[in-house]
Amino acid sequence: MNRVNTLLLSVVSFLVLVTSCNNGEQNVAPTDDNEAITTATLTLTNKANSNDVVTATVENLNTTADFSKATLNLKANTIYTGVISLLDKTKTPALDATTEIKEKANEHLFVYTPTPASLLTITLTDKDTNPAPGPYPIGLTTEIKTGSAGSGKLKVVLRHQPNAKNGQATPGTSDLDTDFTVVVQ
Amino acid sequence: MHRCWKLSVVLVGLAVGSHTLWAQTIACQGSVQGKILANENQQPLVGATVYVRELKTGATTDTTGIFRLSALCKGQYTVEYQYIGYKSVSMPIVVNTDSTLILQPVQLVADSRTLQEVVISEHRSEAQQLLQTQSSLSGAALDQTRGQSLGESLKTLTGLYSIQTGPSISKPVIHGLYSNRIIILNNGIRQEDQQWGTEHAPQVDQFLASRLTVIKGAASIRYGSDAIGGVILVEPKSMPTRPGVAGEINLVGATNGGLGVVSGLIEGAFAKKLPGLSWRLQGTLKRSGYVRTPNYYLENTSYHETNFSGDLHYDHRRWGTEVFYSQFDTKIGLFTGAQVSSLADLYAAIQRPEPLVKPGFSYDLSRPYQDVQHDLLKVRSYWHTGRGGELTATYAWQQNQRREYDYVSFSGALTPELYLKLVSQSVDLVWEQAPVKSKAGGQWSGSIGFNGLTQGNIRQYLFLIPNFRNYGAGLFAIERYAVGNWTLEAGLRYDYRWLRAYFLDDATKRTYAETHNWQNVNGSLGLACELRSDLTVTANLSTAWRAPNVADLYSNGLHQSAVAYERGNPNLRPEQALNGNLVLAYAGKRLSGEVGVYNNLINNYIYLKPDSVPIIRQRGAFPAYTYTQVRATFRGLDASLTYKLTDRLALTTKNSLLFAYNQTEHAYLVFIPPNRSDNSLRYEWPKWGSLSNLYLSLSGLYVARQNRAPAVTTRQENGQIIFTGDFAAPPPAYFLVGAELGFAAQVGQQTMTVSLSGTNLANVAYRDYLNRFRYFADEPGRSIMIRIKLPLTSSKGE
Repeated sequence: MNRVNTLLLSVVSFLVLVTSCNNGEQNVAPTDDNEAITTATLTLTNKANSNDVVTATVENLNTTADFSKATLNLKANTIYTGVISLLDKTKTPALDATTEIKEKANEHLFVYTPTPASLLTITLTDKDTNPAPGPYPIGLTTEIKTGSAGSGKLKVVLRHQPNAKNGQATPGTSDLDTDFTVVVQ
Repeated sequence: MHRCWKLSVVLVGLAVGSHTLWAQTIACQGSVQGKILANENQQPLVGATVYVRELKTGATTDTTGIFRLSALCKGQYTVEYQYIGYKSVSMPIVVNTDSTLILQPVQLVADSRTLQEVVISEHRSEAQQLLQTQSSLSGAALDQTRGQSLGESLKTLTGLYSIQTGPSISKPVIHGLYSNRIIILNNGIRQEDQQWGTEHAPQVDQFLASRLTVIKGAASIRYGSDAIGGVILVEPKSMPTRPGVAGEINLVGATNGGLGVVSGLIEGAFAKKLPGLSWRLQGTLKRSGYVRTPNYYLENTSYHETNFSGDLHYDHRRWGTEVFYSQFDTKIGLFTGAQVSSLADLYAAIQRPEPLVKPGFSYDLSRPYQDVQHDLLKVRSYWHTGRGGELTATYAWQQNQRREYDYVSFSGALTPELYLKLVSQSVDLVWEQAPVKSKAGGQWSGSIGFNGLTQGNIRQYLFLIPNFRNYGAGLFAIERYAVGNWTLEAGLRYDYRWLRAYFLDDATKRTYAETHNWQNVNGSLGLACELRSDLTVTANLSTAWRAPNVADLYSNGLHQSAVAYERGNPNLRPEQALNGNLVLAYAGKRLSGEVGVYNNLINNYIYLKPDSVPIIRQRGAFPAYTYTQVRATFRGLDASLTYKLTDRLALTTKNSLLFAYNQTEHAYLVFIPPNRSDNSLRYEWPKWGSLSNLYLSLSGLYVARQNRAPAVTTRQENGQIIFTGDFAAPPPAYFLVGAELGFAAQVGQQTMTVSLSGTNLANVAYRDYLNRFRYFADEPGRSIMIRIKLPLTSSKGE
């Protein structure tokens, strides 16, 4: 009886040892972020001339951001329609986060802050479907009015405000917080 | 793979080898019968325990107070008699013949002091064999903490604190040290559950313990490297020896959080058919909803816990074997108000006196949360060689699977942001030498042993720590000499650690590895002297070390919940500690207690030092930290004193003082527990109507402001505010009032114990320095908790 027990025990512990030593740690999984945003692109179209399109892009946002193409060269005293696009290029094919944000528009808000404040006047032109006292703006599309010539920055912040969206920037957390350089001539 | 095969072969060889030895023992026929009576009324004590020290077996008395010990070999034994609320007695017995030896009735004297504190000495407590500063929680004192996490329940001991992440995550802190600097021994097995993380609470079911012992100070010799701060032993109830089936049900409920806990166990021992075979099944279900501060609920602070364990023992004369399996499964919601994704958000949250979202009560649990499962399998065999001593071989397998889910904003992803699977296997071989008398009238005792450990870690999703494999081996010897009033103990240990971490090169997609190895020799010296029968002094000096762990070396990632970008440092050297302790224990008629001082000097103390340049990522700016080494000191005093004003009224004061300092940079260290004083007044009624052991206690806990913290400084950088030292100054001191009422009542044949306790009765809004969410919200408000414990014993045996 005892001999059988001990034998059984030995076999079981041997099996446990062998099966659990499978060196899985040598197969390293790549880093995968559910919500990486690698690329933010602002596309501004002159309202008076639809062929006048200005784009600026910040790349590698999730690591060391590349601002080399992040300058908006705009005309003074002009009205542009703006569209923002966010991509996750860590996925193949690249994932368009803007579509997902549009689907969850009731909990997202883009906040555009120019410095100096006189550089640009920005109006959010889209609305979500939040019930009263909503709907509130989203900010995927904008109307951007330039002032007189000058230069500065445009800060773009995407706020995630689940069950708390009230039209203000305060609630929630930031999904994106980056700067575009602006030159108005 | 190759290494594992070898290990398996050695282990199996050992098991088979010891079997051959066991088979050679000769049957012993001696038996002993006796009776245990209460001294005050000469009534039999039912369920009192009788324990044969040399054989590590025992029995319990039946309804007439009679016990029997059988299958004893000829020889001299020391027998201990114990009963809850009575002073334990030990007596020598001599078994000469194969016939039954009838002993004189043993009379136990009531001990009012033990009613409140430590009740049953747990014989398997290996810690008690060490000459180390230690405190423990068992019996009624442990019952009063049921339903709380391990970290919270230990806070009733001096020198123990906890680091919290909201109300649901609590990590024990011993003398200012935590995480990897503490070893938790869960049922004798070193718990390996990614304990490096400040928000990773120990995955241990508190209901498994019948005793929690804390060794304060370095205890590396016996328990291995890393134990610079101390060791926590979670020791289960000893297995039943009396034939029949018994059980226990614990129910806990609390008003705050709508906490409900059910924990039960059922156990039994076989009599004639399979003597020596005993079993136990145990399980716990826990559920809590949103916790309420005095003014608002904390959103998403719900948690669940589902745990079970099974234990099978077979004891046969001089040998025995045990198989134990446990699973701990928890899902813990993190307070949403503390979820900030950048420094700007953090700064805004700190400025707010209250969280923005203040929902009503709910049991909902959604992102962000942690989902952790810990499995433990243990196989342990002992062989008692009689005169030589006892050889114990233990094999353990543990698997820790941790999934951390952050907020998802737009992707609707169902996968976690972090997944870590750590599989640990360990082998321990310990030989305890049987006491040997010296010519001078003293006694030598000691132990030698080997510990082996291997771990493999696999990560997925975001990078926080890499995949790794490690091996560790240690050899130790502890020898103790007791003569007259003196006991001297010396220990020596050698350790070897090997670590290989695996990474993926982003550009080439190739795996590469980095390897480290370390070795170290440590020693300890202890001295205890019984100055008078009521006064003992214990002094201890020991060294300990800790090899840098994989998080210290290779962390590289955004720690979202800590609002920090943490960078490892592959050039770290092992921490080396020199720890000194001096404890004076007094047990007088009215006054009793312990006063201890300690000094822990740690060279190469590893900590996260703030970098001067923040990291900019998609969500904004984050302060960056890099692991750095300094020389640090942790000095303090623990004092616990009880004064009996009358036979029924006692005043207890527990005080913990700690002063920690960064000697290299002449600065204070962050996250050091503030000084505290816990005072209580307790009145007891032995009998009140049909109730017994009735007590009422009032307590007041004062926690000072931590004035020895790094200064909070801010500066502007690219329009961002950058903090150094800390994000906010330590919160003010606070004072909490508590009360507790408890009694035992007879329910049929069973004695049910009930307690009703209230915490933060004045509903004070306060914040605690050691809570990582102190920047965002207050601590929990008033809570009334009820605890019911009902033992279930069947009167019929086999």
